[in-house]
Amino acid sequence: MCGIAGILYRHPEQYQRLGKDLLSLIQPLETRGPDSCGVALYSSQGVPSHLKLLLHDDGNVQWHEVRRWLSQEVSIARSQVTTDMLQLILNLKDQPGLDLNRLCQQLETLFPTVHWASLGQALEIYKHVGSVAALGGKYELAHFVGSHGIGHTRMATESVVNTDHCHPFTASPDLAIVHNGQISNYYKLRYQLEQMGAVFRTHNDSEVIAHYIHYHRQSGQPLEAALDQLLQDIDGTYTILVATADQLALVRDQYAAKPAVIYESKEMVVIVSEYRAFLTLPDFDPTATVREPDAVEVNVWSVSPEMNQQHSAGSPPLTSLHR
Amino acid sequence: MMLEQTTRLQTTIDCTAFTTRAINQQLKDLASSGVKQVDLLNPAGRHNLAVGVQKPIQIRFQGPVGYYCGGLGNGVQIEIEGSCGWSVGENLVAGTITIRGNASANAGASAHGGRICVLGNAGSRAGISLKGATLIVAGNVGHSSAFMMQQGRLIICGDAGANLGDSLYDGEIFVGGSIASLGADARYEPMTDRDWQVLATELQPLGLSPQSSPFKKIVCAQELYHFKARDFTRWKDVY
Repeated sequence: MCGIAGILYRHPEQYQRLGKDLLSLIQPLETRGPDSCGVALYSSQGVPSHLKLLLHDDGNVQWHEVRRWLSQEVSIARSQVTTDMLQLILNLKDQPGLDLNRLCQQLETLFPTVHWASLGQALEIYKHVGSVAALGGKYELAHFVGSHGIGHTRMATESVVNTDHCHPFTASPDLAIVHNGQISNYYKLRYQLEQMGAVFRTHNDSEVIAHYIHYHRQSGQPLEAALDQLLQDIDGTYTILVATADQLALVRDQYAAKPAVIYESKEMVVIVSEYRAFLTLPDFDPTATVREPDAVEVNVWSVSPEMNQQHSAGSPPLTSLHR
Repeated sequence: MMLEQTTRLQTTIDCTAFTTRAINQQLKDLASSGVKQVDLLNPAGRHNLAVGVQKPIQIRFQGPVGYYCGGLGNGVQIEIEGSCGWSVGENLVAGTITIRGNASANAGASAHGGRICVLGNAGSRAGISLKGATLIVAGNVGHSSAFMMQQGRLIICGDAGANLGDSLYDGEIFVGGSIASLGADARYEPMTDRDWQVLATELQPLGLSPQSSPFKKIVCAQELYHFKARDFTRWKDVY
């Protein structure tokens, strides 16, 4: 059992609420997942050539050594150490073709205790073993300003409990996923994705979802097509939330085995595992639309409101991983 | 022990002030002491409310409730002014639960007796493993409803999702709207005058008219009661 939540605001004047709202939404879901928690937050204030890189360390790494090595590879516009994290802003203006995946892999080889939490123009992922309140306090997330985000409370069923194995998971810049459920063809999918070049960093079955979506988007598919294909290829029980730089998506397995409730008001779209989490929103409107997504239903919401889409899966498979 | 001479017949509990365990203990104590009606304010979608109340009492929730509301009840009369989460009335023994809203998955799971009325829609697996209770849904139900139903009656006034009545053993299902598909070993049965009378008796108290919909009856085909090698593909494809 795990708890998941996602939020997307329809108007920029609401953006200053993101950190506070998302933490409030996952707080009551701690009962579904008491061991760890995490959030992926999207803020789009950056300069186009600037990329945020968040590194986490569970050991005793010397951050100045990491920074020194990184500065030889890439231009660093800004950096800051917050307890067990090093937050960097990379300036790619003069290195537009830099292979960031390779950079992160090299970094993790040189500094084995360091784990890259997130990378992207908008994305920042914060996660830890412990309570939601402690996470918010540690990284001062209550004041985080942004357009959308997803969160998770974890009760581990498949793999070890440590920071790297907490959700959200990422596999590429500005992509994050959270998952409630179990993936039953994990090893097969992992093997296939590794053949395609994916580098797995944990033994958590949910990580495969991030790599799977990245693989399909990389081949040019829009997010909704990738999620339709996911329903064909990924076995098991799942309610999954996916976030990209400008989209929030929800997909539910064919048995609708794991819960989800959607709230849509004029101000926002919110998805949570359990209804009671909505009541933490200060302006929750009980007359707004509250509904449950059906089995195999794919929903995609965009940061720009006119692009909202909702449809049921059923379209023929596109390019695929062969099962 | 002497009972108080002036027993209050009606009382109100604000859920905000108590743990779920304390609320359920109070409900049991009030039922035992002869209180007729309790209003619960601010249930706030909490799970396990009014579970295991074994004596007659009328309980009214002024708002949505979470999972398992009214489960294991025996003789209770529960009204929910709002929607409810998974497994409302799970293992109900006797009494009634009325939901003036929507019910999430597994409504009335394994209920042995009594009556559960969902005045909105119910989610997937409504009436799963129903063991004798009556479950009425004024709206639609999701996929795999009445899965492994063993006894009792499921009345759906709206539409039913895929795999209705999959692997059912016994009992009867009525559907007023469309049916996406029947599950393994479920079959249609012609409606009789007695069936229409049963629908009238069950639906009219809720203000619903059975004659307004072309109700269909579904029962167990009893073809999978015993394993036969020639039915292997049907067994393999069950659920």
